[in-house]
Amino acid sequence: MNSVQEELQATYPCRKKQIEELYNLFGYGEEPLVDAVYVYGSSSTGKTSIIKSLLRGLNLKFALVNLVECYTSKILFESILNQLSDHKIDVIKAQPYARCDNMMDFVANLRKCGETVDLSRAVIVLDKAERLRDMDSNLLPAFLRLTELADLSISVVFVSEIVFDNYCYKNEIVTPIKIHFSQYTKEEIIEILCLNFDTAREAIESSYGAELSITEEFYRNYLSVFLSVFHRACRDVSELKYMAKQSFVKYCEPVAKKDCELSDSLALWKHIAPVLKSSLGLLYMRISPTHQENSSTLSITAKDSQVQSLELPYYGKHLLIAAYLASYNPAKEDKRLYMKYHGKKARTKSDIRAKSKTAEQLFTQLGPKQFGFDRLIAIFYAILEEKVDLNSHLLVQISTLVELRLLAIVSDNSELDNRKYRCCVGLEYIEAVARNVGINIKKYLVDFN
Amino acid sequence: MDTNLTISKGIFVYKTKNIADYKRKDGTDNVFADQLWYQSFKSVWTKVEQKIEILNDEMFTGLLKNLVDSVKSSFNEKVTEVPTKTLLTGINMPDHVALFSTLCKEIKKSVTPHIAVLHTEHCSTLKNLVESAVDQFVNKVHSYESDGDELKSKIRKTYCTFAFLQAWYESLHGSTNSKRKTRSVAQPLVIIIPDFENFNEKSLQDFILIISSYLNVLPIILIFGIATSVNAIHRSLPFHVSSKINIQVFNTQPSHLYLNRIIESVLLTEDCPFHIGGKVFQCFTDIFLYYDLSVQRFIKNFKYAMLEHYSAHSIMALCTFSHKVNRVVEQLSDDDLAAVKSLQSVRDHIEGSDNFEETLIQGVQHFYSYLSMFHLYLKCLHSLVHSLPNCPLGKQVRELYSTATSGEITQSEGYIEAFKLLGFHSKQELTEKVSGMCLILEDHDGDEIQDVLAQLQEHLVKLEDATTEVAEEPKLGGELMLSEKMNRLQLKQKLRELTRAPKQLSNYDKARAALIQYLQDVFDKYLRHPSSVPFYELFFFNNLSIRQVLLGSHRSAIHTALNNPSYYFHCDCCKLTDDGRISASMPDISILYKLHLEYGKLINLYDWLQAFVTIVDPYIDSGEEDAENRPVSPEVHARFIQGVADLEFLGFIKSYKRKTHVVRLTWGG
Repeated sequence: MNSVQEELQATYPCRKKQIEELYNLFGYGEEPLVDAVYVYGSSSTGKTSIIKSLLRGLNLKFALVNLVECYTSKILFESILNQLSDHKIDVIKAQPYARCDNMMDFVANLRKCGETVDLSRAVIVLDKAERLRDMDSNLLPAFLRLTELADLSISVVFVSEIVFDNYCYKNEIVTPIKIHFSQYTKEEIIEILCLNFDTAREAIESSYGAELSITEEFYRNYLSVFLSVFHRACRDVSELKYMAKQSFVKYCEPVAKKDCELSDSLALWKHIAPVLKSSLGLLYMRISPTHQENSSTLSITAKDSQVQSLELPYYGKHLLIAAYLASYNPAKEDKRLYMKYHGKKARTKSDIRAKSKTAEQLFTQLGPKQFGFDRLIAIFYAILEEKVDLNSHLLVQISTLVELRLLAIVSDNSELDNRKYRCCVGLEYIEAVARNVGINIKKYLVDFN
Repeated sequence: MDTNLTISKGIFVYKTKNIADYKRKDGTDNVFADQLWYQSFKSVWTKVEQKIEILNDEMFTGLLKNLVDSVKSSFNEKVTEVPTKTLLTGINMPDHVALFSTLCKEIKKSVTPHIAVLHTEHCSTLKNLVESAVDQFVNKVHSYESDGDELKSKIRKTYCTFAFLQAWYESLHGSTNSKRKTRSVAQPLVIIIPDFENFNEKSLQDFILIISSYLNVLPIILIFGIATSVNAIHRSLPFHVSSKINIQVFNTQPSHLYLNRIIESVLLTEDCPFHIGGKVFQCFTDIFLYYDLSVQRFIKNFKYAMLEHYSAHSIMALCTFSHKVNRVVEQLSDDDLAAVKSLQSVRDHIEGSDNFEETLIQGVQHFYSYLSMFHLYLKCLHSLVHSLPNCPLGKQVRELYSTATSGEITQSEGYIEAFKLLGFHSKQELTEKVSGMCLILEDHDGDEIQDVLAQLQEHLVKLEDATTEVAEEPKLGGELMLSEKMNRLQLKQKLRELTRAPKQLSNYDKARAALIQYLQDVFDKYLRHPSSVPFYELFFFNNLSIRQVLLGSHRSAIHTALNNPSYYFHCDCCKLTDDGRISASMPDISILYKLHLEYGKLINLYDWLQAFVTIVDPYIDSGEEDAENRPVSPEVHARFIQGVADLEFLGFIKSYKRKTHVVRLTWGG
């Protein structure tokens, strides 16, 4: 009887409660289906895959739609109908099962479809349901009571990452049954990652040869070491799976080189700790080394090489520096910073107070402020030693910088009179650029004077 | 009757052929086509263009091969993330378009026919993005397979969704769901986004999410072209999206290396007899390095200089390939020959001879041989000095070239400094460098070169044998020893004497000095400044005034145009003796502009009008009293308003809250 449930439990460990709940809702053929179920929980906690395998295991007719794909509600309706009616899209005509422009068409077509195909106990699964908030406002209420509207025994499952209360609807709407997929605990993650033991062993065999045989216990130890670093930063199982796979080969390296024993976990930890720490910075980045340069994973972290990889013309670099200075200095300080004879400044009380300002008040911390085109050009000429014409090639550089997303236009696009920009690069980056052209940027920053 | 007339004048649309065809036609129908200089220019330029093209192809092949290989192999294993190739193109890569179109061609040829290239302008929203991608996949193949019913099989854009793409792909290749593991995917779908930075972030994020949800049924590969750095991806994609892709990075050559290659292997060779002089060359490289890093622009500038050079006089036709010189000389008129005779370098170096044509041919041929030697030894010098500390002569051949053509390189400070440094080299370093130079020489034949090569090798052998020990025992050896007792003062004195005494030269030191002397002699001989060779003007372009043309400064141009219109009109009526004067014959806008220069921040419109009227319509006959109050004729009024509107359009003034005044926008008096 419960073979489906057991099978699911085996493939998806640590989700016993949720699987049971879902099974109770859909698993008993003689009972009526619920109108709507709302499944929520953070990403990669197994929501979609469990529902999919459950429905498949129970042989229920279902339509699964990812709402990211539905930039118009038309696509949503039509793909639900296509899936429920087993309509194969014709390659030549590309016609859907039925054309639906709005919810009413959909309900009507659903009814019509119900006459030809047995739609009782069919399920509609809407993945990434939080997208419904950005779509037509009648979609959520209508899907919640689809059974009533279509007069069919159809259930709708919403899969989402946010709690249901975040769908701010003024009208009273039916509250669906909610099932929460909680985040995995550390132990549970180890349990889940252990399912990958076979592939990990294969990876080790392919890189070090078959004589290095590892046990599941060893792998488990590795995972707990691995998670001690990563668990704090990331709970996403699929991401952890990927990272664990990446570092495991490294972890076994000393064993393969016969530097230490399999059981010597302390030595292994010493070896792997720096590797894990550095790869923590690469979390979610997914850059696989190419055959051209194997050190690419390391090089992207170094700021200097990043600046070198970006080649800008000499004046372009100066413009970028000028933009940074304009963004992070108050305009009233410009005269003092860039002019040789700016006159003496009387020390006022506020100056002394400003000296002792805290980190939150530093201009470099306050984020880029916008600045006008004139100010940018004026600072550009102030920091540039030689005299250059203000010609169109120079001006084109500014729009190139905007295109490269190093600057951003703040003012309205239609306004040509005095454009406003904002600098989008950080202090570290601009320091490297400035060093490259021989400018000491800190000399020009109010915060460091 | 009238209707007939209009019909006969009707406009009919003809479908044009390829634009490229027209261009080619233009080339032959050019007004200059029968001019001698143009023919020379044409032949030289075609050759240069060809070589650049070949170089481009060579440059991209390695990169493309890697990329295509990785595209091919990306679905060999089971993938969980979207395979993504990022191509770091650098800003202003001149052949961005060319690069991506070659990439498309390559992929089409060896991997898959399914390619979609997405451009920013077509993909502002997710809807447009998906539709344009699917449309390119689906409809291209249809039109490809059956040209006849192309229109029939075209899928409407609104139907182009991923669901349809899946159906389409499965009908072509069979369902991937069932036999996924056994079958290696033969034809992945490749999506190319050439300008990643400009792309709408939000729609791209959603697009990647969609792709990754379809990844188990549709093998999709993304290729991004990124101008800045890989970080651009992570800046525009949040974690939950970037964890869905698997990035592989490919680097293209930075554009300054590309420029160096073009300069070294195309422009500074025998294939291009036309040369630009040191100053102009410097100016071009400055434009490149300081302004835009665009190789394409450098080549354009070069071409412009070339046109300028050739069109100056028909004798410039002599600047052609050496096998064509005879033919050109035959076609030169007597006037042309006289013009050649009057060239500075010819007057300085060639005595009046009876058969000038013969001398001319010989002289030009001699110039060719001089040029090839010049290039060769420039390269040799480069191999010697490019790795010196502080690079007194620069790291690149182009820097050497610009020094050598703007003055005597052997007299330059950097050269002297460089040879001083060479004089301090150890045996190993020096041998390495000189053998590097020998390698360059070995590639060329010719008696002179072989001679130099033999000499150099002789020197090398000597260098090898020489020991660093001092040749003879120092005579004062005994004295040096601190055998006897000395007080501190004596010791000090002794040591001071020792430093003054000339250092004993070892065998190695002598051999090194001889070698360096020899090298200097060789460079002295071959790296003379080109102007010391007759017919220099024919081959070198030295007119720095083209800088103004290439680096136009729009503000000063507008100012000149308005302030002194005769500068551009070349008319006599508006010629100004003094900059401050205004004459009635100038265009209205000019008069108004010059008048407005005299005002401060705010300009009173009535005063302005009166000043305008006194210039345009001077009322000479009348008495003084009503000169102020006489009515302004409507025509003059209209001209004034028009002029003011024009100035406002050009951005010199703008309206003010008080209607009687306008605000001046440029710096006021």
